[in-house]
Amino acid sequence: MKDQRPNADQLTVGLLNNPAVPGIIAAAPDLVQHVAVMPDRLWYDFGADARGGRFHKTHLTIESVREHGRTRRLIGHGIGLSLPSAIPLDEEMLTEIAALNDQFSFDWYSEHLSMFLVPHGSVPNAQAGLGLPVVYDEETLGIIRTKLRRMREMLGCRLLLETPSIFTPIPNMEMTEPEFLNRLWMEEGCATLVDMHNIYVSWRNGGLHPRDYLEQINPDAVIEIHMAGGDELAGFYTDSHSRVTPPEVWDYVNDIVPRFRNLRGITFEFQETYFPKLGLSGIIAELERLHELAARARPSVEPQTVC
Amino acid sequence: MLAEFQQAFADLVASPELCIQARRDPTFLLGVYELTEVEAERLQAIVNHPGMKCNCMLYRANRLAPLAMNLPNLVKALGDDLRGMLDDFWKVYKNTDVHFYVESYRFCEFVEREIASGRIFGAEVVPALSKDMEMLGERLEVSHTEIYSPYAERPRG
Repeated sequence: MKDQRPNADQLTVGLLNNPAVPGIIAAAPDLVQHVAVMPDRLWYDFGADARGGRFHKTHLTIESVREHGRTRRLIGHGIGLSLPSAIPLDEEMLTEIAALNDQFSFDWYSEHLSMFLVPHGSVPNAQAGLGLPVVYDEETLGIIRTKLRRMREMLGCRLLLETPSIFTPIPNMEMTEPEFLNRLWMEEGCATLVDMHNIYVSWRNGGLHPRDYLEQINPDAVIEIHMAGGDELAGFYTDSHSRVTPPEVWDYVNDIVPRFRNLRGITFEFQETYFPKLGLSGIIAELERLHELAARARPSVEPQTVC
Repeated sequence: MLAEFQQAFADLVASPELCIQARRDPTFLLGVYELTEVEAERLQAIVNHPGMKCNCMLYRANRLAPLAMNLPNLVKALGDDLRGMLDDFWKVYKNTDVHFYVESYRFCEFVEREIASGRIFGAEVVPALSKDMEMLGERLEVSHTEIYSPYAERPRG
């Protein structure tokens, strides 16, 4: 592994951070060029009136991330801001994310295009229990747009929104999901994180076929790809991050990746409780495939129209 | 309005009973939430979609996860009573606290209150509750004492 972080225009392969990642990096340092970090896992959120303040940091994990960042790109990947929720932006959390960004210098920061926070929550930072689908219309676009502008002020780095996995499509919307993401790209410069497995999950549960979906996405908007595997559950297919990427998803991504000329990162996500099942050799084999995928991509030397 | 639509959606996912009511009576949600006609139609389609079953299952699995991870003795001791306790707990606490230790602790306190109000459980529940609450209390304390806010050290302005 080189002793410097990859430069901003390099396409890198990496992992979503979890407690198993340091061991994987130790075993295969050259295969992990970036680490995607979830700020929400770097603190305990006790709520506004908590003794000693709301956010209590997990020092050991933070130190581990800092160590990764000496030689690897760091990417911020949040879940807590729930941008589509019809509630004000959580400024306290955004301030904490900005503090982490000051320490780690994220190359970009992504959030999910899903509703995780409920509007009338009974606890601070009240969770819906899972990521719920979003209404793709002008009203939601306006809510997200306002929050993205504030995030850009606070973070100063490129922002991305991730394609969700859904089980219940919302009917009669003004826009399709790709159209909505394309509007955010064209009007706000907010790029797209194409989670290939999420798109596959949505299709398996009645959504758009991945090839149709990917045909509609503005390829220039795509900065990062997520890969993962899931499970069958009572006739449905879930994004459990329990397995390596399914073969069909590899077919779709191999075909589409040369079109993503602004692609800068390919990330494998797995849930750490499944690490014993996946095995170190399984993760390493997946990372090697991701490097082969990266070799198929043809990123431009200069990023095109990114914010 | 959108906030009401989102709240109704989240409430439906959290409550199979609410789903049943909404399926039986298509006007039911309009009486509970301030919805536009389009929003009410969307929710009606969602609640009748087969994927709603999966949403409800995932909601319950995601809410059970922190309790199963942090309260192994209590979950085992509750046995057949666990399901009913979870249903009652989730009716009172509709949203997950993002801090898993806090979420688990409030479940312990809920069980304590149920015992105090006369609800009958197996003999193994009280010692299991005490053991898990003690362990959880230590973890909560540790998570409290790790406070560190580098942003607070930055110059203002």
